[in-house]
Parts: sequence; structure tokens; C-alpha cells
Amino acid sequence: MSKTILEVKQLSKHFSRNRSVLSGLQRNRRTEIIPAVDNVSFYLRENETMGLVGESGCGKTTVGRTILRLIKPTSGTVLFNDRDITHLSDQELRPLRKDMQLIFQDLDAGLNPKMRVQSILSEAVSVFERLSDAEIKVKTRMLLDQVNLKYSKLSSYPSELSGGEKRRVGIARVLAVGAKIIVADEPTSALDVSIQAQVVNLLRELQTQLGLSYLFISHDLQVVELMSHKVAVMYLGKIVEMGLTEHVSSAARHPYTYILWSSLVGKLSLEALHPLKLDRRANWGVFDFERPTRGCRFAPRCPVYERLGHPAECTDPENEPQLRDVGEGHQVACHFPLGN
Amino acid sequence: MAVLATQPLLKIENLRTYFYARSKHSFIRAVDGVSLEVGHSETVGVVGESGSGKSIAAMSVMGLISNGPGVIGGSIRFTGRRVQRDLLEGLDKFVNVKERHGRVMVVNKDEAGWQKASERQMKNLRGKEIAMIFQNPRASLNPYITVGEQLTEAVQLHTLYKTRKEASDRALYWLEQVKIDSPRLRFNSYPADLSGGMCQRAMIAMALSSEPALLIADEPTTGLDATIQSKIVNLLEELKSETGISTLLISHDISVISRLADRVAVMYGGAVVEYGQSKLVLGEDASIKHPYTAALLASVPSEQQIRDKASLQTIEGDVLDTINVPAGCRFYARCNQITPEINEKCASHHPELREISPGHQVRCWRFSN
Repeated sequence: MSKTILEVKQLSKHFSRNRSVLSGLQRNRRTEIIPAVDNVSFYLRENETMGLVGESGCGKTTVGRTILRLIKPTSGTVLFNDRDITHLSDQELRPLRKDMQLIFQDLDAGLNPKMRVQSILSEAVSVFERLSDAEIKVKTRMLLDQVNLKYSKLSSYPSELSGGEKRRVGIARVLAVGAKIIVADEPTSALDVSIQAQVVNLLRELQTQLGLSYLFISHDLQVVELMSHKVAVMYLGKIVEMGLTEHVSSAARHPYTYILWSSLVGKLSLEALHPLKLDRRANWGVFDFERPTRGCRFAPRCPVYERLGHPAECTDPENEPQLRDVGEGHQVACHFPLGN
Repeated sequence: MAVLATQPLLKIENLRTYFYARSKHSFIRAVDGVSLEVGHSETVGVVGESGSGKSIAAMSVMGLISNGPGVIGGSIRFTGRRVQRDLLEGLDKFVNVKERHGRVMVVNKDEAGWQKASERQMKNLRGKEIAMIFQNPRASLNPYITVGEQLTEAVQLHTLYKTRKEASDRALYWLEQVKIDSPRLRFNSYPADLSGGMCQRAMIAMALSSEPALLIADEPTTGLDATIQSKIVNLLEELKSETGISTLLISHDISVISRLADRVAVMYGGAVVEYGQSKLVLGEDASIKHPYTAALLASVPSEQQIRDKASLQTIEGDVLDTINVPAGCRFYARCNQITPEINEKCASHHPELREISPGHQVRCWRFSN
């Protein structure tokens, strides 16, 4: 069994928002606390991919950024190679940056539009070590080979590259420093299907070649299913279900996961597989103005809650469902899990 | 009425939209001879990778191209119940195209004159007979005006509901039609208070409020979550069966197209490479398809592949460079179905769109005899 490289324990990140511009002037100013990430725990082994799925606004990206310490967590710990990195200073953190990298959702965000690919890559290569020009050249070429880019692209500016090529340069930059954990934040969401396939293949090849670990954040369920060994489903800042990909995708226990997977546009056959007959057209609505922060957060949208006639446990603020094991490492946070 | 029965609602013929790349001193042939038809009460899907010219074709129909030289030729025949005309009629006198060996060398275009004449043609048509919904719904709504206000304005402008009261009632009716939850609450909220899916619904309501004959939907589901995506698709499906509106649906998401479209056009490098019934074009049988369509479909992960975590099939090579368009088939460099017999033709001659079975056209030399 490979060793655990990253462990996240009870990680929380609360953002606060002032209610209005003027409230800052008032004496007892009221700030609103937004629990973007609430009590999230998981671990990632070497050579493993963990998928993180959920709708936009559920806190996926915040988890990724907090792990990399780009955002300071409110509470909880992040262990990297059994070392607590939650309270390290920026200086202490700097050598660790080499091991943990981020692939951005926005293709252009990580690439300076005024630099050629050559300089973008050589900058990344030489940031942590002192290399001669010849060494830099060898290393950049090696990187291009790894991500299947032609050497002729070295003299291009980012604006001259296609979406897939930009993505490859972004990946090459991450590899340049020798990252071990890569947080991939929606790496395929801006790409066409054909390019998406290339990027998925590339990421998987790199994983087998270099033994990388990915935290793969995406709302594209099919891609997550393809890429990941494990999947965690998030809803309003909490993980509601976690387990091996096969279990979560085909034998979902949490109603939210079930709805998420059956709402794939092309997937029509899923209803037959499951005892819970859901009318997909039923208005399980976008209740995003109603965000309960206590009790079961999914209750206002939950079809099971509806069907069981609004049981009191679901909305009881003291009795929040906790993740519990339902066999084979499959965890679910629900009072009335599906199945059985 | 006889005209209506025989003529399709929208008939695009040989549409060409070029842009000039100043740094390269050459034309970008974004849309290069596209012909398409949208019948009455029909949904036509347009698929292709980014950069294949899908959106530019749609914007050319709407007369929204503002960069030079823009639309330089072709005809767009619109045959609605209230309006029948060629949207590019009389505009060719503003353009002078010099060609050599079938390639456009020089374009002289009186852009101001064209713009003015085009505006005259599009008046009473854009937003009224042809409505469009865009990829990014939030960008198309004014952030400083409430959704209801914006809808009311559109209703007043395009329909016979002229008084404020009538118009706002009508606007509310359309918000209900697109099944936005608590429409009365949403009516008075600003776009920033709505989620992406709700913004898209509001946009659809606005587009439909003028009861157009044709709806152009440019990537209506891209950028939305999977759950919201399927709800928007369901909504479009319901609206189609209820109102019988004709739709030109542009998307690179093949599953969306296959759910909604009656006919499908596959675009590659500014040209339609395949056109026909949705079940033929996107069906299982790869032997009657354009190689590009086959490759595009193969790159969509199948359920079996997902289960086995198999390696995905990809299309080798890059998207066509529409500046230096090759003389032969545009897909030649990436094609994997070239046989020695046709290789020479593929490399040197651009194939025509050929009918291989009734209503199914493919632009490939494989089907030349």
C-alpha cells in the first residue's frame, strides 16, 4: 500500500462579508459568516487521484486553495508528508511549494501574455535551482516532450496557442518544479471534447510515469469518473459522500449524489437501476437563497426528505448528519441513505 | 401561404465571413461557404470544435459582425410569417471581392454603407423575428437594471403590449413560462442575485417574449453545472414541443445536440462537413460519416470507457489554421481514413458537400462514387 502524502483534518474556511458598505461605520457592525468549507477531512495517497465534485459555489476551489495554503484556513490541519503545514510561515512554506502545485481553471491566468513559451518555461525551471543556460534548455525540451508539445512552439506567445496547447504549457510549468501533488482546478472545463480527451489522457500518462497525486476538482462528472480513484461529493461546504469512484457513481447512497449523477444530459438509463423513482423533471429547484448552515444542509432540496414527510431529524439543528462508513470505505452523511 | 409551405424558415447559402489579420497581412476565413437550412418548427444543431466558425455563422445571420471585412458574400433567406426577405439583399454592391484561383485576394468593402443598409434590413427583425441567446447569460444582462425591467423593456419594444402594465404582466408570464422558481421574486431582483441557471432562464424568457420565428441559441448550456445543464435542456425541449419554435442550436456538447436537434450540421474549419438527420449524423454507424464527425464522436467518453478508465480516443493534430487554408480537404492533415486511391484527391482538391443518402450530405472524397 502506498503511503499517504496529504491528509486534511477537519478543515474549515469561513469568509466574512460586511452587510453593507456603511455597516463598517456603525458601532456594532454585523458581519455575515459564509462557511465556504466546513469540517472537511480526507486523505490522498501517492499515485492516487481524488475527485472533488459539486455544483458551483459549493467550496471545491476553496478546498484546493486552502490545501496549498494560498488561503489561510480558519481551523483544521493539513498534513503534507506527515508534517503539519497549516501554521508554517511563508518562508518555511517556500521549499514545499515545489511539491504542491495548482493547475488553474482559466487557461490564460497562469501564462504571461508578453512572454514566449520559452521564457515561461525557463522561468519555472530555474525558480528553485540554479541552472546554466544549457541545462535550462535541456530541461525545457524535456518538459515539452513530456506534455507532447512541438519544440517549434517555444517561440510562440500564449495568444498564438490553441486552448489545448495553453493547457499543456500550464501543465509543463507545474512539472517543471517537480510537483508531487497537483491540485487541478477544472482543468478541462474550458476545452472542447476532443481537446478534453487529450488533456485527460496526458494527465493520466503523467501520473503513471511520474507517480503524481492529483486532487481533481471539476463539475464535469464524466471526466471526474474517468480520472479519479476516489470521489468526494461536496454540498454547501461539506463532504456529503466519499468513496471509491465505482461506488459513488453507480451505487450512490446520498440523495444529492444520486441526483447529481442522474442529471447527466446523456444518461437516461439510470432510473431503472435504482429503487428510488425520481421524476427528473420534478422541480427540486434551485433553492440557493436558502442555505441552512445547521442541520442537514440538503434538506430543502432533498426528495427523500420530501417523500418521508419531512422527518424532524433532518432539520434538527443539533443533529447534523456526520460522515459514517457504510462498508468498503464508502462514507455518507445522511440520516436516511439510499439503498438497502 | 404556398411560399411558407415550400420554403424553409431560414436558408443560408454560401455564406462567407472573413476577418483581416493585420499582423499576418492575410484573411482569417472564419466562415467559408456555409450553407444551412432551418425548416419551420425544426431544431438544427451545429457542432464543431472551438474556432470552427459556429458562432460567427450565427452572428452573421444576426448582422452582429462588426470587425472588418466581416460578411462578404452569400445569401440569408428568411421566410417568416410576417417577414420574408433576404437579409443580405442589395448588400453586395458595397463589397468588391477580387479572387485568384478561387482564393480571395483583396476585399474592398464600404463598411459604413454596408452597416447602414444591413441595419435597415435587420430592423424589425433582430430580437423580434430572430432572437438569440448567448453563451454567457450574465454578460448579456445589464447588471444595474432589474430582470423584470429589462424584460418589460423588451416586451414593449417588440410586441403589441405597449403600456407598462400590460408589458410587465407579459414579462411575468414569460418568466413563468421558463419555469424560473418564484417568478414574482425574481422579477424585482438584479442579475447578480440570480444563479447562472436562472440568468439563462431569464435570457430565454427575454428571447421568447417577442415570440420570434427563429431562436438562435449559442452554447446555451456551456459553463453551467451538470444539474442546471440538464434542466436547461429539458426546458428547451419542452418549449420546443409547446411553442413549436424553430431553433438553430450551437454547441460543442454532443449530448445536448443529440437530445434536442432534428438535423445536425457538423462544422470544421469554417465549412459544413456533414449535414443531415440527427440520428444519421450522430448515430452509431461510423461508415456513413465524415471522418471528422466519427473522430469527434469517438472522443466523447462512453460509459464503458469510464467504467474501465480506458484511454480516450483523440483527434491528432491541431484545429485548422483558417489563415493558410490548404488547397485540398481541410481535414486532410488530421484524417485517419485516407486510402491510397483517394489520397491524391484529398491532398489537392476540396471536396463538395455530396448527398450520400436522401437528406444526408457529407463533404468527403470517400463518398465520391
